[in-house]
Amino acid sequence: MNTRSKYLVPLLFLGIFMISCDDFVEDVEVVSPTAEESGEVFEPLQFVTGVYGRHTDFAYGFSFLGITEIISDNGDKGSSPTDTGNDKNLLDGLTHTTSSVSIRAMWTQWYKTIGRASLAIEYTETFEMSDEALRARLIAECKFLRALNYFWLVRSFGDIPLQHLDIINRVSTTEVYEYIEQDLLEAIDALPQKSEYEISDLGRVTRGAAQSLLAKVYLYQEKWQDAADMATTVINSGQYDLASDFATIWRASGENGIESIFELQARGEIIAHGIQQYSTSQGAKGTSGWGWGFNTPSEDLLNAFNAAGDDIRRDATIIFAGETLFDGREVSASVENPRYNEKAYSSANAGNGDGDKNIRILRFAEVLLIQAEALNELNQSSAAINALNRVRTRVNLPDITTTDQESLRELIWNERRLELAMEHDRWFDLIRTGQASSVMTAHGKPFITGKHELFPIPNDQLIQTPDMSQNPGW
Amino acid sequence: MKCLLNHRSKFDKRMIRIVICILTMCLFQTLNAQDTTLITGTVTDIGGLPLPGVNILIKGTNIGSQTDFDGNFSIEASKGQTLVFSYIGLEAEETVIGDQTELSIIMDAKTSELEQIVVIGYGSQSRASITGSVVSIASDEIIKQPALTALQSIQGKVAGVNIIANDAPGATPTVIVRGLGTAQAGREPFYVVDGQPIQDIRSINPADIESIEFLKGASYANIYGIRAANGVILITTKKGKKGKAVFSFDSFYGVKTILNQVEMANAAQYTQYFNEESAASDGFLLQENQRYDTDWYDELIQLGSTTNHNFSVAGAGENIDYFFSYNFLEEEGINDSKFGRGTIRNNNTYHLFKDKFRITQNVNITYTNQNPKPFTAFNNAYRQSPLIPVYYDNGRFGQSFVNQTTGIAGYEAAEGESVGRLYPHGNPVSEIVFQDEDINTTTLQGQITAALDITDFLTFTGRFGATQFYSKQNTYNPIRERWLNADPRRTIEEFEAGRIDTDGDGIISTEFANNSLQVIDEEYYRWNLEGFLTFNKSFGRHNLSSTLGMSRENFGSRERVTAFGYDVFEEERLRSLGNRTSSFFDNTINQEFNQSTNLQSYFGRIEYDFDQKYFIRAVIRRDGTSDFVTGENFFDNFPAVSLGWTISNENFLKDNPTLTHLKIFAGWGQLGNANVPFNVQQVNTNAASGNQNYAFGPTQSLIFGASLGSPVAPLQWEITEEWEAGFDFSLFKSKLSGTVDYYNRRNTNAIINVQNILNSQSEGNFLAQAAEVSNTGIEALLNWKDQIGKDFSYNIGINFSTNENTVENVTPGFDGETGGTLVNGQITKRLADGEPLFSWWLLEADGVWQNQDEIDNNPSVGNAAPGHLRYVDQNDDGVIDDRDKKFFGSYLPTFNYGVTIGGTYKNIDFSIDGFGVGGNKIYNGLANTRLGGENITVETFNNRWTGEGSTNTAPGADRDALASSYWLEDGNYFRVNNITVGYTIDEISVINKARIYFTVQNPFIITQYSGFTPELNYDLDGDEYGDPKGTTGIELSAYPTTRAFILGLNLQL
Repeated sequence: MNTRSKYLVPLLFLGIFMISCDDFVEDVEVVSPTAEESGEVFEPLQFVTGVYGRHTDFAYGFSFLGITEIISDNGDKGSSPTDTGNDKNLLDGLTHTTSSVSIRAMWTQWYKTIGRASLAIEYTETFEMSDEALRARLIAECKFLRALNYFWLVRSFGDIPLQHLDIINRVSTTEVYEYIEQDLLEAIDALPQKSEYEISDLGRVTRGAAQSLLAKVYLYQEKWQDAADMATTVINSGQYDLASDFATIWRASGENGIESIFELQARGEIIAHGIQQYSTSQGAKGTSGWGWGFNTPSEDLLNAFNAAGDDIRRDATIIFAGETLFDGREVSASVENPRYNEKAYSSANAGNGDGDKNIRILRFAEVLLIQAEALNELNQSSAAINALNRVRTRVNLPDITTTDQESLRELIWNERRLELAMEHDRWFDLIRTGQASSVMTAHGKPFITGKHELFPIPNDQLIQTPDMSQNPGW
Repeated sequence: MKCLLNHRSKFDKRMIRIVICILTMCLFQTLNAQDTTLITGTVTDIGGLPLPGVNILIKGTNIGSQTDFDGNFSIEASKGQTLVFSYIGLEAEETVIGDQTELSIIMDAKTSELEQIVVIGYGSQSRASITGSVVSIASDEIIKQPALTALQSIQGKVAGVNIIANDAPGATPTVIVRGLGTAQAGREPFYVVDGQPIQDIRSINPADIESIEFLKGASYANIYGIRAANGVILITTKKGKKGKAVFSFDSFYGVKTILNQVEMANAAQYTQYFNEESAASDGFLLQENQRYDTDWYDELIQLGSTTNHNFSVAGAGENIDYFFSYNFLEEEGINDSKFGRGTIRNNNTYHLFKDKFRITQNVNITYTNQNPKPFTAFNNAYRQSPLIPVYYDNGRFGQSFVNQTTGIAGYEAAEGESVGRLYPHGNPVSEIVFQDEDINTTTLQGQITAALDITDFLTFTGRFGATQFYSKQNTYNPIRERWLNADPRRTIEEFEAGRIDTDGDGIISTEFANNSLQVIDEEYYRWNLEGFLTFNKSFGRHNLSSTLGMSRENFGSRERVTAFGYDVFEEERLRSLGNRTSSFFDNTINQEFNQSTNLQSYFGRIEYDFDQKYFIRAVIRRDGTSDFVTGENFFDNFPAVSLGWTISNENFLKDNPTLTHLKIFAGWGQLGNANVPFNVQQVNTNAASGNQNYAFGPTQSLIFGASLGSPVAPLQWEITEEWEAGFDFSLFKSKLSGTVDYYNRRNTNAIINVQNILNSQSEGNFLAQAAEVSNTGIEALLNWKDQIGKDFSYNIGINFSTNENTVENVTPGFDGETGGTLVNGQITKRLADGEPLFSWWLLEADGVWQNQDEIDNNPSVGNAAPGHLRYVDQNDDGVIDDRDKKFFGSYLPTFNYGVTIGGTYKNIDFSIDGFGVGGNKIYNGLANTRLGGENITVETFNNRWTGEGSTNTAPGADRDALASSYWLEDGNYFRVNNITVGYTIDEISVINKARIYFTVQNPFIITQYSGFTPELNYDLDGDEYGDPKGTTGIELSAYPTTRAFILGLNLQL
């Protein structure tokens, strides 16, 4: 073998080795198929379900309680003294700050839900589908959910950015309400009534739900005539009525009943999927307990029930230490706190992270109270009394007879408090009606007028968007 | 051209072809003979003893020979040629052949570092030619400190390599080379054993290792391209040496105890503290006379042990050298965990065709058996009240029950009395007892290397290696026993009642399953194939060498099958999912498969020097990986250059009596890290209780929905650039030698986890290449060695390194990811521009509230009370919130140092090693995350605030659980990690050498830290070690550092 070929052979085979083998890296078998490969086509329905699904987030099981009830005169933080529940102690004491996590959680939760709703609407609008009626209904469902979340945002934070316009510049409350009204009006046009849905669609947004929310939105803006009209429309729709037994509304048997207008759906059976921890976080804590013991009805609320002689609603709203519940559960006298929220109690899945507890968002009694309040403001007190007394009669309370606008107003507000106690509205009613300062001060909380009417824009948001303005006083 | 080597089967055939090809070429290989005479002689050491196995080479050729057992040799050589005699550990000798034909050579036992061969990846260089930071560690340094992995053994010995040890059986130490350079990507250095990349350093027996090379400098590490950014660690295993077979037997046994036990409060102290705390919130009080005074750490911790037996035989025949070893190691932890490992290694080299063709075969089989125990037991033991017994009189485990009416700890209560709990934490001893887990692994590693000398200056090397790994993990969970022991009042009848399907709906809660069994089977396969040409030739005073090659690898595939079921037999031998005591609950099975990665690489290297004075080196690596095929840049080049000047070889310094050696060097290079996470999922769905799903209909059927994830932003691998400069020197005839260098390393496109703007449409976080991470530092190494008289020699080594870690140039608005989340939800770390990676970010504690007046007149957190810590209102807005949090440095040390002192006097040898770190802060999460009612340390008890004016430093018994600077402590420590004394006896009967030694590992530590160990690399989230965004640097459930007393024996036949 001559010298030249001595080099040649190995060089050659190294060459073979090296020539353009770059496609080796493209040669891996793909194991996890992409969405396309799996042939999976996402239907608009799935994204709409995703918008509903966002309402089962843990934020509603814990943070929501803090900024709706614990902060108000209805609820105390509860649980053991050392367990702060992140910032529930601060909310309870009205010493919450711009970095309180509950506020940040709800701010984010509501905006992300709005994001999902807008994306689902976009997807549904462009998706090829033959059933135009379904398309219109799905879009309308999303619009209701978007409006609901904007409503929760605007009453908590005041001026806020509208996500589709700009996420930094805050627009006025009026403008936000206009957008909410527009969504709701469009939804009302396209949505079926509760009775027009297939039974398998139970739990979806109905025309009545959109109308009821719109009535509430008008009420918050003090558009009394619109509020009264819209409430009347719902009342006269023939779709709803008061449930005969107040206490059963919050039991599993009372889910989606005649009084129900809109509620968040939860299932307790495997595969369980509930509003994360909603029942657990408010369950009795300690011996014989099943939960963390947060958001306990305050002594002030108990006194309010007692002062009104309102035993039925008191006993349906409050679990007392030492009591035996309707389902036979014995609550030890030595549980951590004297009272717990019975409206959050689930018989079957008391301590489960995923329980069967539906959260009642809108129900017929509230629509009656909206009608009563609006009519009273329109000086139609006798009509207002009718609606009010419907609510009272159900719980064996004597009829109200006064037609004095001032005193009737106070009575309606108090009725709202007792009827809707622990249903996540009290704090905003206090703010809306201008009672917050006096009530909270009397309750021993350091309410600062001009500051505490609104929650602060979360500090983490301002770190990300430093150009966004903060609320006054924060 | 379509690639030929696409599949495994094809590629096996290909391999055979390559081997045939090489063999064929060798057959035709011819040699030119010259006119020569036969030279004979003997080689002895300075003591006159014959040296067998000395290599003899005619300089400038490949012709060589070796001495026989009596030190005799013969070789054909011609007049004027130079014979080079070399022997591992001795200085090489050169003799020019004159007229004499018989030589008598004496070799000096003094090693010359400059002659040392340094492995650098696809080749080697002599130490004298190295122009960058490459540190070699020899085998004796490794075996001196017995440990599971070699890396733990050499902690504190390599400047610039920060090794955080973990003494838990089976744990891997965290190794950080020249600072932590990434937030999201892989942090592991790249390990290569004899040219073969390996997955798990634990599969290598430290006693099999001949040397470890750390390619610290980027100009050296870059030959491994996209896997080199975290440093490259090359391990060379032992080979047989010429001469008669050497049988070695090494055995040691040691016991381990906890090094730094923290003293916890006793029953009286606990009761007092509890009552002070309880009084503040009007809770119940404990009585002074209680039934128990349990020391939980005494109950939990036992004596650990370590046992090791190593047997090896090494030698060489005419055409083959061989090394065979067997090792068995067993560690028993102080928490009853166990780890056992057996390794079998066989390294053979066949020297064919007058050593022109060499085939090396490396086989390594490792099997392990592990019974881990939960580290959370250490955390729970810290929290257990001394009032609780380990066992109640009825045989059940003690739990935190207390009779709130009588104030006596216990579950007994009379009518009308109420029983509550002191705290929610369970019994740590029961955790250990109920944990029943068995993990068995087998790792098979094999490699064949063929090297062919085509000419005397050109060599081709081809190599194929493969690894197959199997693991089986059985976890048995005694649900029934756990249920019964969670509350001593529970009865078996109650449990059985829970198993009855009273409503007949076919559902029983798995809470009432008797037990469960989980079986996980896992395996992976990986292979590597490479070929390269090495050119090595001198042209007068010009020395040139170069390497050119390519490699191909497949790794990362992993199949995992998990089977799970309830109600299996209790007896271990009967446990199976197939045959169960009841089939009420369904078995579940899950199989996952990870896609593998194909890596294609090309590399080239040129090294040139003029007269061993001026050095220049250039390297290029081109890497492509299948992970990025759909992304950007799936091929890229990684260049490097380095320069060196050996000033001491210049004429003006050549005969300097003081300065033996001086070289300055500088280098620059690029490294990659392809082990990065990706932005992938666009449509989120969930098969369980995800928030995409919702219930509709009268029976509330679960309807599965979807939501859109964050828009996908493409990512590519991280690229790190580094430049370094330094000098090597030796003085006083090499008695003093050292290296000093400076490095500046920068991850130019670090991936960070960015939170979508809170009120934006997109959900979830996304990853973005939006930051740089820089690491700069100085490394220094000094060695002094000398001999006094005939019998005493000694050496002292000191190394020191600094590191400054900074996150820089973050895209505005993109930083702020928080980490270090404690069990109570408190956050302790944050990633921010201008700070080290995930620095401490805390409220600043500034004294203690003395009275309500102070609280009312100053900014305070909600619920502040006298005795609570007060925090600084950094922004003076009258409110204490996140905006008042401040950065307090990092858990990463800013400097490390190590000291080694060794010596021999006649037959006695001794050594002391120590090392330390400084400039770091660590967080005492154990003390901070107290919910209330748990135990405290004696120190906490003694220092506490007890009323106005008592102290303004430590909080009282009633305190908040916010994360603050109060709980942050200095992480500085200095630990003597090894003291060894040995005695050697030479030649007793058949035994050539016997050494008996006694070692104390970690005899003492100097630290101000108040917890168990300042070395905190374990993350609470799963099995991850050293995650900067996790709980690294926070003591929560850390395995305490242990002290070991070891007695060992080496025998050589």
